Amino acid sequence: MESNFDLKDLPFLKLLREKGLKTAVLETVDDVVLRLTPGLNVADLRSMLRGDPPGRPNPRLRPHADGFWLHIRPGYYNRHITGLYPSFRLGWLSTYFFVLEALTGIFLMLFYTPSTRLAYPNMLQILSNVPFGQFMRDLHRLGAEAMVLFVALHMIRTYITASYKKPRQFTWVTGIILLFFTLFLSFTGYLLPWDQLAYWAVTIGASMAEAAPPPIMGQFANLMLKGAPDLGPNGLLRFYLLHVIGLPVLTLIFIFVHYYKVVLHGHSLPPEREKVGEDTAKRVPVDERRYFLPDIAASEILWTGVVTLLLIVAVTFLYSAKLENHANPLNTPFHSVAPWYFYWAQGLLKLGDKTLMGVIIPSILLVMFMVMPYFDTGPFRYYGRRRFALSLSMLFITIMVIFSWMGTPYFAVQSSLDQEIMFELAPTEKPGLVRVIPYEELEAAISYGTINADAFREIVPRGTELYHVMEVFARELEHARQVPPEKGGLPGVEGFFTVEQVQPDLVAVNLVISWDDGKGGRQSNEQFVPVHREAYIGSEE
Amino acid sequence: MAETTVNAPAPMNRREFLSYIWGASITLMLGGGTGAVLWYAFPRFREGEFGGQFRLNTSVIPPETAPPEDHPEGRFWLSNTGQGVLAIYKVCTHLGCLYKWTPANDRFECPCHGSKFQKDGTYIEGPAPRSLDRFIVRGIDVDGNIIAETPDTGEAVLLPPETAQILIDTGKRINGKPHG
Repeated sequence: MESNFDLKDLPFLKLLREKGLKTAVLETVDDVVLRLTPGLNVADLRSMLRGDPPGRPNPRLRPHADGFWLHIRPGYYNRHITGLYPSFRLGWLSTYFFVLEALTGIFLMLFYTPSTRLAYPNMLQILSNVPFGQFMRDLHRLGAEAMVLFVALHMIRTYITASYKKPRQFTWVTGIILLFFTLFLSFTGYLLPWDQLAYWAVTIGASMAEAAPPPIMGQFANLMLKGAPDLGPNGLLRFYLLHVIGLPVLTLIFIFVHYYKVVLHGHSLPPEREKVGEDTAKRVPVDERRYFLPDIAASEILWTGVVTLLLIVAVTFLYSAKLENHANPLNTPFHSVAPWYFYWAQGLLKLGDKTLMGVIIPSILLVMFMVMPYFDTGPFRYYGRRRFALSLSMLFITIMVIFSWMGTPYFAVQSSLDQEIMFELAPTEKPGLVRVIPYEELEAAISYGTINADAFREIVPRGTELYHVMEVFARELEHARQVPPEKGGLPGVEGFFTVEQVQPDLVAVNLVISWDDGKGGRQSNEQFVPVHREAYIGSEE
Repeated sequence: MAETTVNAPAPMNRREFLSYIWGASITLMLGGGTGAVLWYAFPRFREGEFGGQFRLNTSVIPPETAPPEDHPEGRFWLSNTGQGVLAIYKVCTHLGCLYKWTPANDRFECPCHGSKFQKDGTYIEGPAPRSLDRFIVRGIDVDGNIIAETPDTGEAVLLPPETAQILIDTGKRINGKPHG
């Protein structure tokens, strides 16, 4: 039986024979572009890039109709929401950060193992032995914090423009769920470096799971989350699984639902232009349309580029994610803090019972946020008609800021002043001020002998890091001297700074703070800081 | 029906030109980014890990009359023949099995399909296409200088008496000579 197929009948070769090489190539390119875009041939594409009016029917709607990637994106928007106001592109950027985190996260997975034995050494390897390792990690960390910030800003914007009102109530509900997932993703990821910062922040957070009422529920939740009564290998693995697959899948599903609802009801117009319940998506007058291709697409690419640039500049010059010492389940470091977006929770927890403060109040808040659009059925979106709602939101933000301050080390967890001074100069988990001093300056200081903090100005050369650190030391001691003893002051306090050579390339700084104990004797706090010639850290964090 | 397409291609205006320039620069940036990611993702070999270097004292080199020494962590046999020292890759050049040293026959024999090789890796008989592959051996003196190195042909390297350590680079393999 003969086949119908003959090699010389291939479309390109047929074209080549009939019309010559140049036409054949141009027509093939035109056809390929038509299939790839899809729906726009070279002339349409060029006309779009040139800024020509599209003509009727608009060919630039075909990629939306025929293609997968643009099928859910609206073909056109109302021109009143295409500027920076009212959305500030926050929804788009929240999605961008999710994608960025997914990508940088996958890259980090190449070198990370979720084992308590290997996680920390892997982190050290990524930071020191992998090209762009520190870059990837810093991008991932900064991106996570930025994502939480942008998601929160997006939520605030949506509240202020009353875009949660009918018919968009459920969109708001999915948004709150997404906020919860974003925070949970950040929380699970926080544990993975397995350093002191990670271990203790997550121990605190996970113990809130244990505090869930009734007690049997709490124990169940605690064991499910940690895989064991204490945070250990099982906990690390469960948090890892949640972080890399469990939560991303759930987040993605809710992003799909959320965005579908946004497109279905149409992006809400500024409050002055759209009343509650008005449909602005399906009936956009032709003279108010702005088409996705090319204008909105260009704007999205622009903002992606700008934010990526800012992130890269920040990571290269301004920001570096820290890594503290290896997780030590036997020692909780002084001034352990939660990440900044959980300061409010830490503040709450300092006030009382962990079930009330850590579980019940946040849960009530969450539920209140979710059901809010079903209760706030006021007919107005315009700012001037919503003064009560807007004032309430400002009050809430203020309260969150106050609770956040309460979560910082400045509230309720101040220890004795000698400990506070030592924490600033020589903390156990981060470099601190003494580690900023270059090795050579410390070497030179050996000959000064024991430097009394009240008399360092005659001995230590001005302008050196050592001089600056001694200034801070002296200032803090003076403050401790002024505070009355009943309020925690240290009467007769003195501070000493001694440098000794311990080994050929190793010096040790001996810090001593001593004060009257009020019973005729003296008490002291001593700290020993070894510094190696090769281990210059350069910053105190 | 109204004419909707242009007959002759329109001249490029500034907007179109700028779009192409932006497109090219974004493509360049993405290309650079991809390069950085690939550089990042390439496996890092450490000393003591297969794929990296192995540092051994000259004391572990077997005497000439003794059979070759097995170094499983580096995936090589350390063989001392009359012509010098060889680090022979443990994987048979036929299909990937690990051949064994047969003391009774004083040669390497592969259990899978019967390829046989001499103490210096030279092919004797069997379905293997070539002699055994080997790694580059470098002799290091007490100051860390390289005083001897396996030649490009892969033959044994004679270690001068000042050699303190040998460095075997399992990241660089020299294929055995194909037999006739």
